[in-house]
Amino acid sequence: MNALAKHRAVLFAYLVTILLLLLGGIISPGFLSVSHLRTMSLLAAFIGIVALGQTFVIIGGGIDLSVPWVLNGAAVFVSLFAHNHNQPLLWAVPVLLAAGALVGAINGVGIAVTGIPPIIMTLAVNVILQGGILLYTGGAPAAAAPRALQFLAVGRVAHVPVVLGIWTLLAIAATILLSKTTFGRYLFALGTSPTVAEYSGVPILRTIVLSYALSGFTAALVGMLLAGYSGQAYLGMGDPYLFTSIAAVAIGGTSIMGGSGHYVGTIAGAFLLTILTSLLPALNLSSGALQVLYGLAILVSVSVASTALPKLLFPRRSTG
Amino acid sequence: MKASVLEDEDRNTREVRAPRGTSRWRKQLDERASFLVACALLIGLVAVYGSLRKGVFSFEELNLDTAAAMTLLLAASGQTVVLLRGGIDLSIGGIISLGTVLAATRFGHHPQTAAFWTFLIIAMGLLVGAANGLIIAVLELQPFLVTLTTWAILSGVALIVLPTDGGSLPPGWMKFGAASWFGLSSSVWLLIALLLFWCWFRKTRLCLAIRASGSNERSAYLSGVSLIFSDVAAYALSGTFAALASLYLTTQTGTGSPTIGNGYILPTVAAAVIGGVSLFGGRGGLVGTIVGVFIMTMIGNLVFVLSVSSYWQPVVSGVILLLAVLASSIAEKSAKRNLLA
Repeated sequence: MNALAKHRAVLFAYLVTILLLLLGGIISPGFLSVSHLRTMSLLAAFIGIVALGQTFVIIGGGIDLSVPWVLNGAAVFVSLFAHNHNQPLLWAVPVLLAAGALVGAINGVGIAVTGIPPIIMTLAVNVILQGGILLYTGGAPAAAAPRALQFLAVGRVAHVPVVLGIWTLLAIAATILLSKTTFGRYLFALGTSPTVAEYSGVPILRTIVLSYALSGFTAALVGMLLAGYSGQAYLGMGDPYLFTSIAAVAIGGTSIMGGSGHYVGTIAGAFLLTILTSLLPALNLSSGALQVLYGLAILVSVSVASTALPKLLFPRRSTG
Repeated sequence: MKASVLEDEDRNTREVRAPRGTSRWRKQLDERASFLVACALLIGLVAVYGSLRKGVFSFEELNLDTAAAMTLLLAASGQTVVLLRGGIDLSIGGIISLGTVLAATRFGHHPQTAAFWTFLIIAMGLLVGAANGLIIAVLELQPFLVTLTTWAILSGVALIVLPTDGGSLPPGWMKFGAASWFGLSSSVWLLIALLLFWCWFRKTRLCLAIRASGSNERSAYLSGVSLIFSDVAAYALSGTFAALASLYLTTQTGTGSPTIGNGYILPTVAAAVIGGVSLFGGRGGLVGTIVGVFIMTMIGNLVFVLSVSSYWQPVVSGVILLLAVLASSIAEKSAKRNLLA
């Protein structure tokens, strides 16, 4: 299998992203303006950062369904702790990032030690967090986000949004982590076959716990940034990120069965989903049509990535 | 190809058989441990509920609880079949939403149109399910992902049909939910019908094929089971059950909602897993799922009776879900240890 065929899903995702951008430019004049591109990349960054942790978890053969309420919890508590002041952020942000990683680590320990399937473990943790946060806040929305947080989310340094800077750093770190470190290699081995990985001496527990902790960390980070972006935390703000984080990973060509994939593809997935959303007003489409398009986008891109596809299309050329 | 062989070897090591010399009872106990735990839990919950409230052990209470549980029960029945196949069906949520909005907007006042659209809704569920199965089997894609996309597409269509909650159903339609024969409500009769269906279905070749391909795809294939057929059949059944669940739901709510189905996706999986259906395929049954659904209904009842905040309900169901899965995974491990000893 040559490199082009191997990465066809990633290439396809970038191609569709560029085509959608051009389509937007043709349909509505302001679509390719700097300010609109900046807004879109901000929104893509939120999806992309959540999907970073999700990419690691999925490559390791798992899935993290606890993303929505880890994100929401971080957003709610950062607003509660800070009380409109910037000073408490100095300890609140690191504490909440660590708390997100801790929830992820609990997911990982539950999955690795007790053998509970990832879907169930992370789903249960999500539901428990949801109930806990609703109980704590009494279902009332939290206070406004402090100014420093709003600057982090929407502010710019030399015309470049701060969030984009954070995302770029994280993307570089993720790529290095996946392709240049032993942790990355362990993760791919684990996702390909847990049994073989264990017999080959891969530290299963540590690898699983680290990948889920990373996912909890990125979800908590986006929760706080989103609270800054919308000026306040509200309940249910994390729910859309369950679907979009998994969708971005899948569109980016990472196999949901684990063992293969790139964060580079997930970035394209995050952009594709964001551009699709911003095309709606231009195309005069309803949110229902967006859902249909989302679904079709994922279905088409995973079908393109499917290893069974070449066999179906060119039955004679396939040699197994 | 290499990867899939390794996958199968993974599955083989997970397969648990009782060692020679252990009694048949011990084997049964190991295999049904999580189902028995669920039964004990349900009995315990009913006992607590009964001690807190008068008139729990009556037909009236049975009618009420079964009516409350029936939508989830129907949807979870389909999910059970798919879980036995080793898959998962998230499109249930989309089918339920689309079913309720179609019923609420298209039934009109003529019985004929209502009957026609009832038929169409069931056919929609069946066809969507069959399409799920076909895509999963032919393109060798992950069930989670394929059904996630069909869920998104269907709930999108539901939003296009009816953007907000609303619509109405003919008054005669809603009478079904309140109807009762011999002191038992329509929902209890549905439950009996569901049990009879399972008694028949579990012995059929189709169920055996689904179960076999769920517990070990490779050996099922080598024994002559058509994997494409078992996939299409399992998901088509699940889609049909989801359509039936949506129709039952409209007899209770009397309206259509383009988002109502989303709340049913994960509870169907949770109910089945609590009732001892394995997420890895092959093991469990509808009776377990029914127990699981009633456990969740009882938790809701208890939260109501204890008049604590309703936010406790997700917390308690989450903890019980984890404990149930933990129990079954420990049972599996102890069975493995027996095998090695």
